Amino acid sequence: MSKRSLNGTEWSAMVLAGAERLASHAERVNELNVFPVPDGDTGTNMNMTMTAGANELRSKPSVEVGRAAEVLAKGLLMGARGNSGVILSQLFRGFSRAVAGQQEIGAPAFAAALQQGVDTAYKSVVKPVEGTILTVAREAAKHGLAASRRTADLVEWMREIVLKASETLARTPDMLPVLKQVGVVDSGGQGLVYIYEGFMEYLEGRTGASDFAAPEPQAAAAASSGAHAAEAAGSAHGSGSAHGFAQAKIKTESIQFPYDMEFFVNRDAVARRTPFPEASFRKTLEKDGDSIILIDAGDIVKVHVHSRRPGDVLNAALLYGELSSIHILNMQDQHRELLEHEQEKPGPTTAKLSEGYEGDSIGVEAATGWPPEAMGKLAAAEAAQASEAVATVAHPLAFEMAPLGIVAVSMGSGNEQLLLSLGVDSVISGGQSMNPSTEDLVQAISSLAAHHIFILPNNSNVQLAAKQAAELADKPVTVIPTTSVPQGMAALLAYREEDPLEVNAERMTGAIEKVATGQITKAVRDTRMDGVDIREGQYIGILNKTIVASNDGLVEAARELLAKMLATGDEVVTILAGEGADSEYTDTLLSWIGNHYPDAEVEVHEGGQPLYPYWFMVESV
Amino acid sequence: MGAIALVTDSTADIPRAERERLRIGMVPLKVHFGGEEYLDNVDLQPADFYEKLQSFPGLPKSSQPSPADFLAEFERQMADGKEVLSIHLSSALSGTYQSALLAKSMLEDESKVTVIDSKSASMGYGMLVIRAAEMAEQGASMDEIVAEIARIKSSTKLYFLVDTLEYLHKGGRIGRASALFGSLLNIKPILTIDDEGYVNALDKARGQKRAFARIVELLDADFAGKPVDLNVVVTPGKTEMAEELIALLKERFQIRRYMQSEIGPVIGTHAGPGTVGIFMGPAV
Repeated sequence: MSKRSLNGTEWSAMVLAGAERLASHAERVNELNVFPVPDGDTGTNMNMTMTAGANELRSKPSVEVGRAAEVLAKGLLMGARGNSGVILSQLFRGFSRAVAGQQEIGAPAFAAALQQGVDTAYKSVVKPVEGTILTVAREAAKHGLAASRRTADLVEWMREIVLKASETLARTPDMLPVLKQVGVVDSGGQGLVYIYEGFMEYLEGRTGASDFAAPEPQAAAAASSGAHAAEAAGSAHGSGSAHGFAQAKIKTESIQFPYDMEFFVNRDAVARRTPFPEASFRKTLEKDGDSIILIDAGDIVKVHVHSRRPGDVLNAALLYGELSSIHILNMQDQHRELLEHEQEKPGPTTAKLSEGYEGDSIGVEAATGWPPEAMGKLAAAEAAQASEAVATVAHPLAFEMAPLGIVAVSMGSGNEQLLLSLGVDSVISGGQSMNPSTEDLVQAISSLAAHHIFILPNNSNVQLAAKQAAELADKPVTVIPTTSVPQGMAALLAYREEDPLEVNAERMTGAIEKVATGQITKAVRDTRMDGVDIREGQYIGILNKTIVASNDGLVEAARELLAKMLATGDEVVTILAGEGADSEYTDTLLSWIGNHYPDAEVEVHEGGQPLYPYWFMVESV
Repeated sequence: MGAIALVTDSTADIPRAERERLRIGMVPLKVHFGGEEYLDNVDLQPADFYEKLQSFPGLPKSSQPSPADFLAEFERQMADGKEVLSIHLSSALSGTYQSALLAKSMLEDESKVTVIDSKSASMGYGMLVIRAAEMAEQGASMDEIVAEIARIKSSTKLYFLVDTLEYLHKGGRIGRASALFGSLLNIKPILTIDDEGYVNALDKARGQKRAFARIVELLDADFAGKPVDLNVVVTPGKTEMAEELIALLKERFQIRRYMQSEIGPVIGTHAGPGTVGIFMGPAV
């Protein structure tokens, strides 16, 4: 079998095959995670990222490679989680720019696009590390360029890509000492190889080409029921509504409830005295609407509805609290635009969109700076790209917009409460082994009525997703690069309301270095790291990034760690007790600190974080 | 014996002996424990107050003296043919100053009474009242006294630490320090009273030691190597924290005059037990 070019449908099927191969090997990728702490999540993160891209691709099929790649890039960007996931999304972001406007691609264009992906990904990472997914992608792309001059057959060319990628993967332990120490190849690189192998399987005809074999009948099936299509659009709200070919076949007028609404009802202490009457509120909405989703989270109720009378909906909701993040979009309008869009020749449309997209020249790095105008342009380009005419009604309390909103990532309800008490406005659950996606962060950012947002990622694996979210957000965002919850708390303590944002960002970033973070967790594998021998199941103590203690006993490991953290003995020690920290253990620890460090000031809080029985925060004078 | 008499209110926290020595007239505020009403620093002394506070569920309330209370005191002082200088608790924190002004307006000859809003609290203005009384005793004129206490006020630094912001918060006296309230981590705000007379958090520290170190650092910037007067107010019975801080200050600064007094019931109602206030200025 030989093939010289791919159209959008074929290219999409190839990508889905890659996603499938990655999905079926995600566990294997997780196992390659080298650090003996339970963060074996590279496979999970990459898979979730790729799945988000694949879903977007399925919902907006295109026969044009340029358009399909753009759709994929958008899905990956929003779904990106974990560092490898973000890098993956950047690889395809660059790819999509390279193939913009192209109907079909052959090996030379494919190779050039891979190269542009690599360039984009390298730019997005502050300190690129060799021996990772970046190296695998780069070597494969470089080889691909050379190979495309020798052969025009895509099957043969892709074989070369896979071969080179695998070969580079095998060499990653030589480039990254930590891999060699543990005796594994890089997990993110392995993930990418699985994706490329999936591509090859498709090109060799070894996969059923899944649901992309026949896009036409599928679209027809969806179009058979207008209501169904509208429903689908509603349920996909937020991650990009489903439209495309299927919707092109329904009549604009058949959209019964044209206003797609989404907002939050803030249930403050006063409002909460009366419980939210979910059933009767639903009834009220049903009078003139459908696709109703009500999520009562106690202090906030999320409302989604397609309604004929948006004003009535807002008035009804106002009875139960203040409204925020109100999004209303006219689906008839959107549908008319979509029809016009489909009637236009694909060429110019794509060119226009890609122009907007290319117009942003800010890398991920630039997003950490101060509101560049480019940020607004990017947001506009993003909106155009999603072809989603979202009418954002001005916040009803626009004059009360706070100058600053703070988003933090953390695990455990106790830690969440602590962070909220220190001034955080929105806490996203996540961290080790459960990284939030870029989209989770973007949504948290847009839900806050504030002019500027600070993000505290509180985990090194959330840094890139946070930076990506900063780039995609609808308002200026600064990432304070905290890598632990204690660091996040130290940053918050350094905040002074009376100072300008720039000064605060600087002071908060500076505070990160003034606090020591200790973490106790269970080793998930036998290994030797940082000169410490570790057996699976033992408790290990990590000081900042380095393993400094290991012991079969929890309290013993905690003592070993604290002894390393307390230098002068008069520090302030904050203990965040997580799952697995019995009060008995904590008391033992407290009396030990009291005996050995009588001058230390100690406070204990129930953090509730999983996987880590203890987090320690040590502040010196 | 001068021709000017000093009047203040009970929140100046001037020790009784000192007040009697300088014949300073004092109009008490009132403290209410439920239905019971007490006169601040008169029939409710600091030590008894904190004892009651321990057992009382909820918070006591305070109220300003009535204009009639002030009027009576002004008339008593004026009966000797004296002019009156009446110095009071920050008008941003209490209606006491308003009450005194009203009393003045009820006088036949208003010009005999000068009422000053100290824009401060406790010994922060108690020390001004003492200085004014001393000057009056030596025969200084009203203008000289007013100018001198304005000068002292502007060169004095005032810092105080509270055990918890709860009392300031509940009493609505927290001002711009409110951002710190509600923190679940133990944060010691370093409070001051700003030029407008509001309670304001100047900085914050994690733990008591760092708070002390910060206060010493702040005072050091103004008074290193200079002779100073130091007034300290503490909560009776909860003096360990204060003693540690005082020892630090005595070691660090050249103190000429030192006075320690107790935080009275009204100030205690709003600052809470375990409060310590530091007032340092150039030696007079």
